[in-house]
Amino acid sequence: MAVAATIPLGTIKEIPENDFFLTPSCILGVFNPGSEVLIGRIYDLLGLRWRAAGDRAESQCTCCTGFSSHGEVISIESTLLVAARIWSIAAELGIENITTACVTSYAIHNECLEMYKHEPGLDERVDRWLLQACGRRLHFPKHVVHASDILYRYRDVLAEKFQHRLVERRTGQPLRVVDHVGCHYAKVFPEKSVGGAEGCDVLAAMIRAWGGQTVDYPERRHCCGMGFRQCAIRPNRGYTMACVLKKLESMEPWKPDLILTNCPGCNVFLDKEQWAILQMTGKEYDIPTLSYTELAGLLLGWDPYDVVGIQSHTVPVEPLLDKIGIPFDPSKQWFSETSGA
Amino acid sequence: MKTKQSTKAGAPASFVSNNGDDLKSVSSQTLVDAYEKLRDQSEPSNGSRTYPKLCVLHGTAFEREKDRREVREWASRCPAEMQKWYEEARHQSCLWWLKNHLVAKRALSSCIACGVCTSQCPAAQYYGEYNPRAIVDAVLSEDEDQLVALLKSDLLWYCGQCGSCKPMCPRENNLMGLISSLRFLAQLKGYHLYSVRGRQQYAMRHLCGGNLWNRACTLYFRNPVAANHPDFGPRYAQYHSQAECQMVRVGASPDRPGQFGGRKLPPETLTEFRSCVAGGGTLALWNQLEKSASEDAEKKGLSIDEYHDRVNHEG
Repeated sequence: MAVAATIPLGTIKEIPENDFFLTPSCILGVFNPGSEVLIGRIYDLLGLRWRAAGDRAESQCTCCTGFSSHGEVISIESTLLVAARIWSIAAELGIENITTACVTSYAIHNECLEMYKHEPGLDERVDRWLLQACGRRLHFPKHVVHASDILYRYRDVLAEKFQHRLVERRTGQPLRVVDHVGCHYAKVFPEKSVGGAEGCDVLAAMIRAWGGQTVDYPERRHCCGMGFRQCAIRPNRGYTMACVLKKLESMEPWKPDLILTNCPGCNVFLDKEQWAILQMTGKEYDIPTLSYTELAGLLLGWDPYDVVGIQSHTVPVEPLLDKIGIPFDPSKQWFSETSGA
Repeated sequence: MKTKQSTKAGAPASFVSNNGDDLKSVSSQTLVDAYEKLRDQSEPSNGSRTYPKLCVLHGTAFEREKDRREVREWASRCPAEMQKWYEEARHQSCLWWLKNHLVAKRALSSCIACGVCTSQCPAAQYYGEYNPRAIVDAVLSEDEDQLVALLKSDLLWYCGQCGSCKPMCPRENNLMGLISSLRFLAQLKGYHLYSVRGRQQYAMRHLCGGNLWNRACTLYFRNPVAANHPDFGPRYAQYHSQAECQMVRVGASPDRPGQFGGRKLPPETLTEFRSCVAGGGTLALWNQLEKSASEDAEKKGLSIDEYHDRVNHEG
């Protein structure tokens, strides 16, 4: 079932045009580091003004504590203080717009902002605690957006710069792409996402603009099962695998060429658990999984290994490159034992 | 601070290969100094500065023992009102918590028992005995005994914190926030020890909490070793064996200064971050988790390192 462009009226969020403070992601940096670095490369390509605290030689920017918060090893007040510290650094740089590399960071920053609206006096308390803790003051950002919001805004501009499109080069047919929007992007604050929780269009719009065909399927909005303490603690991982299997079984009849994600965790588990599922069920799905920045980088013609880093994926991405007609040199994938790796 | 050093522990440089029992007689200051010296020892490499000793410190018994002592001492001289609040909250009733905790008190307004939270819940689809409405019912009952039973149960630990229930709830309840808050309370009161899944929190405290305290991140790129991720397969093992080189290749900053994944933060940033963590009262939780784990380990005849490893693999 191919999907036409649909954004319900009233759910088109305000995405700032320029001037961003970028906060990094723990998970993306660990598992798909190229995807994270690509955010900055793409912002640069678009000519956007952006900063990270690491514009100094050593980064002042830290984790938002999101994973630990949902893993229940940090208090909400500590999270409020850490977020306020990040906002304070952005304010020092004169930047009002936070863009996060991680969807859980996106939800955490938004959750913190919401709390101030509902809890009288919280701003005064956090300001005082922050001053005591590190001599900083509380400054609210004007916008908190996810980096995928920025690429969504500039999807057509990017498409003009692409060397490749989401089209099968042999047949000229659009590739079939399933989007998997991170739960903490669209479900925690659906009113702040592009299109809401059910009709979220942030990735689907990129797919259409970049030449592909979005494919709907019954479990499209099901969670990938990362679950924080579920994926972190080994005996709990059956939950993660079951969620991924549910999605793969559901999308398989539509024969997708690619799963596109905007969440660091989904980009890991929808990809890597396909190996475990093969071992358990004997079924080889082999559906490549890419983040929106990885896909943009590949379509821009950037090197799949040196820039995009597709070798970090468990399901090989090379068959997809072949379909699109993106050249690659498979000998560049791994460092040899003698090359200092 | 002036405790005589154990002969078992050896010289400070060898602490990384000691277990927690070996290090018990080493003074806290010696442990912290040895750790920081190793952590901040830099070397030039390919024109940039790297910190090669970081890779041997993370996840060790040395780091955990250092953290236990350091966190205890930070907490003892921390004037944060939230630390005192959490230390006192553990002696209050569960009902008091529900009316006073910043998240819990606004999480649940009413429930019309429509069941949409359960129908949307991935955890309820996987764990046959799990039903998020049971948590709502227990909370709305305002029955202390029922709440204590919930806090001691496995049910509390099944939620994946995805938030699938949130946009569907006609009462706009924040079930994921409520569950997270109740899990925090369970740990403060030591009730998590009654659940095999609750006990796993001691491993979470040292995995995520250890990363926060020592690296100001929740996940460090050396954490997900292939041996602990057999589900990721041989291709991941190959990637992870050369992760550092692959990260440098794409522009990330493993164990070196920079903006992106795996970067080494300067000590002054870490100090600011720790002050924020402490200022929000988290150290009250971490100290309580240590106390609970220590008592449970002793009851089970395990060393604290054996206990840490067991809860990481139980369930």
